[in-house]
Amino acid sequence: MLNSNMSTLGIIFPNTYDALVPELVNVRLMASIPFASRYRLIDFVLSSMANCDIDNICVMVNNNYHSLMDHLGSGREWDLTRKNGGLHIYPPFAEKSAKPYTGRVDALARLLNFLRSQKENYVLMSDANIAANFDFNAMIQAHIESGADVTAAYNEQELPESLINSHSHDKGYYYTFGINEEGQITKIFVNSKETGVQNFSMNVYIIERELLINLIDDAFIHGQEYFERDVLLPQLNKLHVHAYKYEDYVARITDMKSYFDENMKLLDDYNLDGLFSGSPIYTKIRDDTPTRYKEGAVVQNVMVADGCVIEGEVENSVLFRGVTVAKGAKVKNCILMQGTTVESGADIQYLITDKNVKVSAGKEVKGTDSFPIYIGKSQKI
Amino acid sequence: MAKEIIAMLLAGGQGSRLYALTEKLAKPAVPFGGKYRIIDFPLSNCVNSGIDTVGILTQYQPLVLNEYIGNGQPWDLDRLHGGVHVLPPYQKASGSDWYKGTANAIYQNISFIERYDPQYVIILSGDQICKQDYSDFLKFHKEKGAEFSVAVMEVPWDEASRFGLMVADENDKITEFQEKPKNPKSNLASMGIYIFNWDILKKYLEEDEANPESENDFGNNIIPNLLRDGREMYAYHFDGYWKDVGTISSLWEANMEVLDPEHSGINLFDENWKIYSRNSGMAGHKINSGGVVENSMLTDGCRIKGTVKHSVLFSGVKVEKGAVVEDAVVMGGTTIKAGAVIKHCIIAENVTIEENAIVGAMPTETEKGVATVGANITIGENATVGPNAMVRENVKGGEEQC
Repeated sequence: MLNSNMSTLGIIFPNTYDALVPELVNVRLMASIPFASRYRLIDFVLSSMANCDIDNICVMVNNNYHSLMDHLGSGREWDLTRKNGGLHIYPPFAEKSAKPYTGRVDALARLLNFLRSQKENYVLMSDANIAANFDFNAMIQAHIESGADVTAAYNEQELPESLINSHSHDKGYYYTFGINEEGQITKIFVNSKETGVQNFSMNVYIIERELLINLIDDAFIHGQEYFERDVLLPQLNKLHVHAYKYEDYVARITDMKSYFDENMKLLDDYNLDGLFSGSPIYTKIRDDTPTRYKEGAVVQNVMVADGCVIEGEVENSVLFRGVTVAKGAKVKNCILMQGTTVESGADIQYLITDKNVKVSAGKEVKGTDSFPIYIGKSQKI
Repeated sequence: MAKEIIAMLLAGGQGSRLYALTEKLAKPAVPFGGKYRIIDFPLSNCVNSGIDTVGILTQYQPLVLNEYIGNGQPWDLDRLHGGVHVLPPYQKASGSDWYKGTANAIYQNISFIERYDPQYVIILSGDQICKQDYSDFLKFHKEKGAEFSVAVMEVPWDEASRFGLMVADENDKITEFQEKPKNPKSNLASMGIYIFNWDILKKYLEEDEANPESENDFGNNIIPNLLRDGREMYAYHFDGYWKDVGTISSLWEANMEVLDPEHSGINLFDENWKIYSRNSGMAGHKINSGGVVENSMLTDGCRIKGTVKHSVLFSGVKVEKGAVVEDAVVMGGTTIKAGAVIKHCIIAENVTIEENAIVGAMPTETEKGVATVGANITIGENATVGPNAMVRENVKGGEEQC
């Protein structure tokens, strides 16, 4: 984009909602969870930003971030290796009293000097637990047109059962919005248990950089931690917070079940096109070979990345890069992450295998639709 | 900073025997093996062998090749000192010349080579599919105290007369060179890959250039001159997979061999010798219910609802319901619509095969042709393309092309 008043700085919070998928973040964080056969969750928000010419991006890593650092590298795959701007990864400053940040206020307070020295007019904030091919420019345009102080993206959906039934405040906060006819947010509900379709916040915000600095400065002095709970909610009468309804495809990871379901949903072409037919989604290049289907392979309704060798039967499954399914093995309704090996005669159903899992010859492991079995990284069955 | 060795990659060839496939792109840029282009092989070999400086000599239709190479990043060849450089012919104070021959192409870039002050120069060819460790070749060259070495393959005696042959003694010292002889004295075929001591190469290039009678070709001029002068010349035996993919049938065959690494010897799945390429960036491929995929290779972006047997599909190929793809090489972005049948053929990039069209046929006693469809072409509904056809223009619905 040519220089314009729409210039925007991106900030990504990659650890948000880690507590919702404890198994998957044992060796990583939300943003680096493998998704959709060859991606990590952060690829979607990062590519969306890059595709909207947002090329000055901070990733505020908090903990368990080695896998993410490895994935992002210099940011080249997202065209974010730049002299001006580019990708910045901000880990917690390691000093004696250092602690991971709690909420966005706490995180941004540590970034204030950086924020002050940047030149972009706007700041776009996002988590990384949602896979969407988001046209942020449309949202920024809407923000400018509405004249709002803050614009918040939401989609209409029911709250996941796990949030309604078993969510406690120590696992973090999620938000739903009350919106008036003018599209202004008049209410913010924290950890709502309402059933039925809600205006479910995507935690994507656009705000003028100067205003953000002032709000964070003030909130930090008052010992506040969370942007929505502590900054927006108490000031809804003072700030014009506008709602931006996101209507394109959204895959939101809120628990293990949704992780399984959202991967499986992509086996439907309609959903797959919904997520990928827009701008390209970039990811780390691994230089795998194409996937090889050997004599005797039987495959039905699968999504498969490069570098796999398939000789057995695979049905209704998502296979990540470098998966091997040996002759006589049966894989049904499974998600097999990078480097999984299924040996001959093994029979698995409703299984989520993390990276480099080995299912030994002849083993039979079956989960169920409502309770897929998860096998941790590098485990051998 | 001097380099021990740099590579010069001859990539200017038109590849006229590939016809429709090379109308708009140079031979080294021809797609191969599902996600590669031919030039990925010599480039990856360089990087895997530890050679970090490569000059690519281009001439014919360089646009696609230039864009593909870019800054060399996919091959880790974007380097501060060295890296990959595309070298087209250029205008000099004394005038300008196309590259007249392989030797002249190197001659015109002597100043490029001298910037790196190398001890050795390896000359590579951009039209071969081969995984080769050039560092082992250089080790041989040094151990022999050679001034010139050439990589050779043993070929069957009855085919030997199709090749440039090196006659060598028991110490691998070359005593004679025969270019496509009627009566071969050797079955060691030159692979067109040479290592020279740079001072020797430079001397002979300059001498060759001064001779107006010369064709400025390595095989026809430089090598005979080296022999004439009794230079230290050695033949380095290579026994891995090597294929010149200069013809439609050899290109098709090499792609099919990728499907059978256990027997053919071309194993792309070697973690220790990766072949790098520029990636498509598409989502993982998808095989729908009802789709059949047997003994084939698929890559990102493919969508399969029909039947695919013993074929190599490149990124983003769509095979619709009821379509049949067999013994075929289908390049990126091509769509095979419902009911179409394509067999024993090469379909180039971004082709549309409309519904119920037929392209190619399985070989019979009398006809063994590989039907070929050039890039961006549409084959209309119910059209038929015969097994020997070379399609360069759209074929209208219902029409037949032989």
